[in-house]
Amino acid sequence: MMQDAAVAVDAPDPLAVFKSHELRLVPESGGLLEKLFFRAAGQNEQAVMTDGLFLLIFWFSVFFFVLLMGLMVYWVIKYRRRPGVPAPLSAPHNGPLEIFWTVVPSSALLVIFLAGFWGYMSKVVAPADALRLNVTGFKWDWEVVYPGGEKPAYTMPLGTKDAVKIIVLPENSPVQLLLKSNDVIHAFWVPDYRTKMDLYPNRLTTYTFHTEKLADDEVYRDHWVFCAEYCGQSHSEMYAIIRVVRQNDYEAILADWNTGSLSCEELGELVYRTNCVSCHTVDGSPGIGPTWLGSFGTMRALENGQQVLMDENYIRESILYPEAKRVAGFAGQNMTAFLGLSEDEIAGVICYIRSLSEQGQDTPEGEEAPGDGAGTKGDSADG
Amino acid sequence: MTAIDRPQDVVGHEHEEGSFLDNRGLGFWGTIWDWASTVDHKKIGLMYLTAVLLMFFLGGVAGLAVRIELMEPMRMAETIGEDGTPTVELQGVAIDFGSEQTAEDGTKYWSFESTRESASTTYNRLFTIHGAVMVFLFIIPSIPAALGNFLLPLMLGAKDVAFPKLNLFSWYIYLTGATIAVVSLVLMGTDTGWTFYTPYSIQTDADYYRVFLMILAAFVLGFSSILTGLNFIVTVHKLRAPGMGWFDMPLFVWAIYATSIIQVLATPVIGITLLLLIFERLFRVGIFDASMGGDPVLYQHFFWFYSHPVVYVMILPAMGIISELLAVHSRKHIFGYRAIAFSSLGIAGVSFLVWGHHMFTAMGELASAVFSALTFLVAIPTAIKVFNWIATLYKGSIAINTPMLYALAFLFLFSIGGLTGLPLGALATDLHLHDSYFVVAHFHYVMMGGTVIAFIGGLHHWWPKMFGKMYNEKVGMFACVLVFIGFNTTFFTQFILGTQGMPRRYASYVDEFQLLHQISTVGSWLLAIGFLIHLGNFLHSLIAGPKAPPNPWGGLSLEWEAESPPTAHNFHHEPLVKHGPYDFESVVPPHCSEEEFPLPKSVS
Ligand code: HEM
Ligand SMILES: [Cu+2]
Ligand SMILES: [Cu+2]
Repeated sequence: MMQDAAVAVDAPDPLAVFKSHELRLVPESGGLLEKLFFRAAGQNEQAVMTDGLFLLIFWFSVFFFVLLMGLMVYWVIKYRRRPGVPAPLSAPHNGPLEIFWTVVPSSALLVIFLAGFWGYMSKVVAPADALRLNVTGFKWDWEVVYPGGEKPAYTMPLGTKDAVKIIVLPENSPVQLLLKSNDVIHAFWVPDYRTKMDLYPNRLTTYTFHTEKLADDEVYRDHWVFCAEYCGQSHSEMYAIIRVVRQNDYEAILADWNTGSLSCEELGELVYRTNCVSCHTVDGSPGIGPTWLGSFGTMRALENGQQVLMDENYIRESILYPEAKRVAGFAGQNMTAFLGLSEDEIAGVICYIRSLSEQGQDTPEGEEAPGDGAGTKGDSADG
Repeated sequence: MTAIDRPQDVVGHEHEEGSFLDNRGLGFWGTIWDWASTVDHKKIGLMYLTAVLLMFFLGGVAGLAVRIELMEPMRMAETIGEDGTPTVELQGVAIDFGSEQTAEDGTKYWSFESTRESASTTYNRLFTIHGAVMVFLFIIPSIPAALGNFLLPLMLGAKDVAFPKLNLFSWYIYLTGATIAVVSLVLMGTDTGWTFYTPYSIQTDADYYRVFLMILAAFVLGFSSILTGLNFIVTVHKLRAPGMGWFDMPLFVWAIYATSIIQVLATPVIGITLLLLIFERLFRVGIFDASMGGDPVLYQHFFWFYSHPVVYVMILPAMGIISELLAVHSRKHIFGYRAIAFSSLGIAGVSFLVWGHHMFTAMGELASAVFSALTFLVAIPTAIKVFNWIATLYKGSIAINTPMLYALAFLFLFSIGGLTGLPLGALATDLHLHDSYFVVAHFHYVMMGGTVIAFIGGLHHWWPKMFGKMYNEKVGMFACVLVFIGFNTTFFTQFILGTQGMPRRYASYVDEFQLLHQISTVGSWLLAIGFLIHLGNFLHSLIAGPKAPPNPWGGLSLEWEAESPPTAHNFHHEPLVKHGPYDFESVVPPHCSEEEFPLPKSVS
């Protein structure tokens, strides 16, 4: 698929094209209104749905607006003041009419609310097979870590910045971002995918999108990433590029980026062996603390009778503040807070615990099959 | 069928008591002291009016500067050299406050050399000044403190507010807060945004006390708001003229009443939040800053728990003005009086339940869904009001003058503002539009297109009452049209910028957005010219305007009973209310003849 790469005689770099400084943004497409509002039609199902809802609200608004303004202008002209002519008598109110214009718009609003919620869920609940990226925001750039531990190594100079990161993603695949910040609040916005989420220094947030399919003659397609939450001096320079490529190119690029660092899961396993193994088991056998096998995405019963979903934030909180939520059945056992772990190591532990659940799913007879909670994430408990 | 009893002999006494503006032969310093120590609600109202207009000017200049900065994209303005390195060419650095630099020996100094850093620092301070001044110093006090103070007792037929001295005290608190804010601006301002989001607001500019001063100013201003609100609530309960029941009050009074309730209930929350923020900044206790163990989202909850209701502090009084303008200038009882009065209270209530819609990108699914649903709930009473206003025009006798043009402009702009709240309240679309220019356009349509437009319209409507002078109608209408066109040019483009992907609070941007930004900036100049013409028109009226009659528009609410300008004690004798404020079909307005304002045949 690298037919575009320059076929130089000496050392042809098959990846040269992906290091290109040429921006290939989505060309304008779609109907007139879509071009006006979004420049190009949505790049994935979620974006198409968002645009659809937006245009639905748009036409709903246009209808009411034109109706109201039409009446306003018509009446202002028709009933303009004429000297000596009094205003004709009219009723001071009209019950049925007022009920009508309360109920009808209300029901339309209900439809808009439901459509909005449905579309939102498709943007925050990731499919199980999503490619999981750990994204860190800091003043004023992004760091991205791929599941294998790779980090983007290609950059391009743009404007006043000489190294804008190029985040490479495979075409036509679901992607989940696990976001956190090192300093103040940022927000990771990909306008082409019509979604964003804030990054916080004290907890993890997440969202998902599906990359588009490239056209036959395309080698890559670029999308802007902007920081959308004000973060100080160079807030407006905090941008990056998402470059969508074909699957095999993606693999080649990641191989190129691999510096031999541990994958997310391996890092987590290492942290486990050095810190956690004395209390937690990973094979389902009992220990001083709860076993990790098949636990991710399940509801955990707490000592105080509440239930909590075992998700990224719960794991992070349990590492840093173990006493905040105590699992039922471990009275008298106290876990030390591992405040010394880095955010990368915590992300590793999350990958590792998650992988222990995915193995459980693979074996049909797995005794500790995770519950059905895996798909839906509850309200981040410590928000 | 005469409305309010004004025995003819009272007219003979009119010269006993002069206008409240008379300086009664006091010298220059005497007059100053007279105003500084006055407990007359009208004088206090006029002092507020001067102050908020000054603040509007200050915030406006900052806003124009922000727009000028955005003429050029800056980021992409440079070309990439042959060798792949960019050659930076700085463009679009319009105004530069300079920036702090550290010399080699470690001393700090102020440099005015334009760098990209100092340009964006300047930009960030400008938009903060613009937002903070407009919100805390202009819009919140504008209608309630300036027009409200002047009109509320007059409309109720009272001599003054319930606690005149407290009223003066509120004014001095406002003045203190405004002074602190201006000091912070003179010291080069802050770059936190008017929202003071943590942890940024705790970490930025750590050596300076400017952020502290700015927060302190907002804190102090809050007290002025609370005390004024309290004063108005008691005034409405206790000082209605004999014969005036709750449903005989003008809708402006209802609106001010609902506003005051929100101010009294919500402002203490921001007071405490800002106090905590000051503590955190000065003493490094961890409440909101995660690096000290705090939670930044907690700050957002506190902040919006106040600041969402406060958007209704901004808009409800404007809605009250619009009800008055439409009724008086189309000589119609307001359609669905009770629906409008109750929807004011309904909005005030529901507004406390929707703060989370500013945080959809910060909360989980459940909270987002609940807040989204509640947000649509608040849209309904708002829509009902618009329907009622338009229905009021039906079968009216509609005068086309500056106040009426402003009322119509309000209906146009506020409808757009409200309708664009819908895609922001719907979750799927908000994830895209949040913190983009779409939000900027939305709140300018409701706050400027709503509140400011109503304020200027109201100012024209009550100007003759306040100063006893008429303004030039043609010039006023011309400026109104200019403001309307300028406003739409400036802000409609920003909706499109937002949907196309332009983030908010950006000093620079990618090339694609340049055209729309330029159109917007040109629009802002039209807007500025429009306002300057109004200013000229008002000044001309003060100096050379023809004398205003007591009731130029044929209004029926009690302020039109009084002289223009009113006497020091408002009325010659306590008015007795015998008709509603909107009985245009059956009552000849005070000081007016039936030839001027004829009544429908079947009645007279
Ligand atoms: C139909 C009525 C309205 C609805 C449904 C609505 C909805 C919203 C929503 C959901 C947001 C948050 C957008 C975001 O940040 O992602 C928002 C922002 C805002 N709205 Fe409204 N709104 C309405 C009317 C008003 C009114 C009447 C005002 C003020 C007079 C107002 C002032 C604001 C302001 C100031 C912001 C932005 C605050 C900031 O981030 O600085 N809105 N609106
Ligand atoms: Cu940022
Ligand atoms: Cu709000």
